[in-house]
Amino acid sequence: MDSALPVLQPKDFKSDLKPIWCPGCGDYGVLQAVYRALSAIGRPAHEIAFVSGIGCSSRIPGYTTAYGFNTVHGRALPIAQGIKLANPELLVLCAGGDGDGFSIGGGHLPHAVRRNLDLTYIVMDNQVYGLTKGQLSPTAALGRKTVTSSYGSLERPINPLLQVLSYGAGFVAQSTPADMPGLSQILEQAIAYPGFAFVNVQSPCVTYGEEHQQMKAQRATMKTLASLSHDPSDFLQALGWATHYGEQLHTGIFYRNPKPPPSYEQQLAERRAKLAPGALPRERILEMFQTR
Amino acid sequence: MVVQTIELEKLSLKDALDLATLIEEEARDRYEELAEQMLVHHNPLAQGFFRKMAVVEEKHRSQLSRRRQQLFGDGPGRVSRAMIFDVEAPDYDEVRFGMSPREAFEAAMRSEVKAHDFFAAALPRVKNAEVKALFEELRNEEIEHQHWVQTELDRLPADSGPEIDVSDEPVAH
Repeated sequence: MDSALPVLQPKDFKSDLKPIWCPGCGDYGVLQAVYRALSAIGRPAHEIAFVSGIGCSSRIPGYTTAYGFNTVHGRALPIAQGIKLANPELLVLCAGGDGDGFSIGGGHLPHAVRRNLDLTYIVMDNQVYGLTKGQLSPTAALGRKTVTSSYGSLERPINPLLQVLSYGAGFVAQSTPADMPGLSQILEQAIAYPGFAFVNVQSPCVTYGEEHQQMKAQRATMKTLASLSHDPSDFLQALGWATHYGEQLHTGIFYRNPKPPPSYEQQLAERRAKLAPGALPRERILEMFQTR
Repeated sequence: MVVQTIELEKLSLKDALDLATLIEEEARDRYEELAEQMLVHHNPLAQGFFRKMAVVEEKHRSQLSRRRQQLFGDGPGRVSRAMIFDVEAPDYDEVRFGMSPREAFEAAMRSEVKAHDFFAAALPRVKNAEVKALFEELRNEEIEHQHWVQTELDRLPADSGPEIDVSDEPVAH
């Protein structure tokens, strides 16, 4: 309590745009946690770019004072990577839903992870396509009944935690707006991690979600990984806990690489610096094209 | 409901007044936010109630703030909003689409109980006598607030379903 207070407060990141999510939606809590995390990080809004895809949760950048880009369905990660490469000084956040990230944009995820740019990807995982009125999403449970699966889903759900761990992400965590302090702290740590950081937020859909997925149920059943004596530097243990996805809600950091490798943009800067002395001037290169 | 990184044992009266002010401010802001949600979703009765609650919380906040100013001036504090989470502010999942005024009052009642429980739980940890007296006062005020909400609640007619047309809204599966 004696330490100096942060200069920036959560309200500094709140825009004038009013959220239109359904009352009771988990995304309201995620938004509050983002405000808290950003104020704790202490970077001003003009140094932050917030990129999203399409879906209810992808409206989130507009509710912050950061630079926001509500992009194309499933394409938030490629655009976020482009922004980071163009201006590596920016703090880049990327967000979307489980359909946006694991289905439509599913092909981008492994490459974003292995490329390892320093950005934070927040997925608001509600196991349903809420914006289009309740169809099966890639994380919907086997047997789940929706408007598109009247007799129950025949598809096994994707396990995003296992997926991202196996791709080699250096920071993998899960949380829920039912635990606001935990969620804020996890987002703060994800943003501070020097590389690709993934946070799966179990953010319930109040309109199409089932009773056992709602925050009241989450509060009653969730367990923090810290209470289970999980060591976040233990990759194999992280894989073990991640297999419980869909059965038991574990919150906390599954894995944080204790020796983060250099990010893509760091390596790129180093390579540029190394090659710069031998590089031909731009005019000379253009001349070469003209003579051939 | 969480208060982070605040050592209640070491709270000074100035810190405690700042903390109490911030708790009221957080509740005010949340009620305003909930009122906005109700406005967006065409629920004027619940919106009106949450606006009223925001005014009530602002009144409490300004009273505490004035007291702090009279005793300690405008100097910087050591407590910030980042240190508290939903002490008196209703949780986001307390509201829902098409909620009735009665349900809105019930949500407010749970928040008053939550605030009372916070001060009651904090009291055994507080060492400073002045802070202890303040927390006892605030705990008792929360009981008065509960009485007020209950009186208002008793005046309401029984729920007769949603007040708005939900025909174009999604149905549960």
